[in-house]
Amino acid sequence: MSDLAAVLAIARKDLLQELRSKAATVATVFFTATTLLMMAFALGREQGVLERSAPGVLWVALVFAGVTAAAQSFQADLEDGALDQLLTYPVPRAAVYLGKMLATWAYLSVLGLLLAPIATTLYGAAVTGTAAVALLALTVVLGAFGFATIATLYAVLTANLQAREALLPVLMFPVVVPIVLAAVRATESLLGGAGGPVGDWLLLLLGFDLVYFVVCASLFHFVVDE
Amino acid sequence: MTLAAQGAAPADAAGGVPTPAVSLRGVVRRMGRDTVLRGIDLDVAPGKLVVLRGSNGSGKTTLLRLLATRLRPHAGEARLFGHDLVRRADAARARVGLLGSSGGSYPVLTGRENLRLAAAIAGKGRGADEVDAALARVGLTHAADKLVRFYSSGMKKRLGLARQLLLDADLWLLDEPYAALDEEGKRLVDVCLTEARGRGRTVLLASHEQDRHDLAPDATLELVDGRVRLAAAAAAVVGP
Repeated sequence: MSDLAAVLAIARKDLLQELRSKAATVATVFFTATTLLMMAFALGREQGVLERSAPGVLWVALVFAGVTAAAQSFQADLEDGALDQLLTYPVPRAAVYLGKMLATWAYLSVLGLLLAPIATTLYGAAVTGTAAVALLALTVVLGAFGFATIATLYAVLTANLQAREALLPVLMFPVVVPIVLAAVRATESLLGGAGGPVGDWLLLLLGFDLVYFVVCASLFHFVVDE
Repeated sequence: MTLAAQGAAPADAAGGVPTPAVSLRGVVRRMGRDTVLRGIDLDVAPGKLVVLRGSNGSGKTTLLRLLATRLRPHAGEARLFGHDLVRRADAARARVGLLGSSGGSYPVLTGRENLRLAAAIAGKGRGADEVDAALARVGLTHAADKLVRFYSSGMKKRLGLARQLLLDADLWLLDEPYAALDEEGKRLVDVCLTEARGRGRTVLLASHEQDRHDLAPDATLELVDGRVRLAAAAAAVVGP
């Protein structure tokens, strides 16, 4: 019970910090808006091309924004030795990981849920029916979960490195490919493209989420303990 | 080196020698290519107040971070209250409170929020009254709802001391607790540490401060060449 309280306290702390500093919000909102607009201009005016590109652009914007958010979540901990302090509290390392991951997941889910209708509208892709909208929301939440599990581990791994901004995406992107692939295909199916049955992609996404969650939570203490 | 149990130090279940609060045997720790700790042997009995001295880079912070389970020993054996620091790190961590040299608080949270967060994570279930009492004790009531980013260095140090008081761990580890404090703040540290010892807490602090008249440590140790040697001790504290 106290471990759960610790998890929630850490997650709440991260979200409260972001709410006050807006350090990640400013960067991610600016980046996602720029990505959506630039890609729309680059892909031209042909409606079919824009529509087919919507799922990929949405997830590219979300993934890059996620890297920024994850890196930022540990920057605040590095100030004034707060991470050192956090890791001396009597809670399992997995609880620290889970708290940080929950905050990143919540942040990315909200960002994704706001971004999805903007992207579909801007690219002229239609999501028809309440069920499709709900499934798109589920895809965003599951995709954000998988991404957050990996991003949290890699963000702490690179937190003390000088070139962390460059290294974080380089190290993380190869690992996150299955998540992005499944999420893009599921989104494609929901937007009327040729993604195949959405249920299959969502199951695959869920499977990767669970595997990555177990692996990353288990590895976290090897990464933080020097 | 053994800083033996005296006075009120609790005996173990069999009524024999109490389990040391800190027990190190041949502890080695490297930082990069440098071997900072070169075979530390040390026993500190519960309820003792020990000052650790040494020049810059002598390994004081490394030793405290190792005891706080932030660093693993590369060789040797380290135990806190009988718990192996590597194999039973969670159990050892439950007995330790660290005040690092940087203060360890979150700049975007207020002083009060920082203390509530620490209590919530540590599972201490401290109420609002206890948080307010800890803030009052270190003279931060007026700044309780101010963001820590607007605190001075001395105020951050006082907030760290308030966190130590609030969590009141069995083993207090303090890295340069006097740094950035005014004379009144330094005396406050002395009083709080003396009172902690009075409650049976074990205190180990690293400091460059000389001759703290308000502090009567049981022993003063010096780290030289990665090893501990006794610089001064109260009578009958040092064992064989």
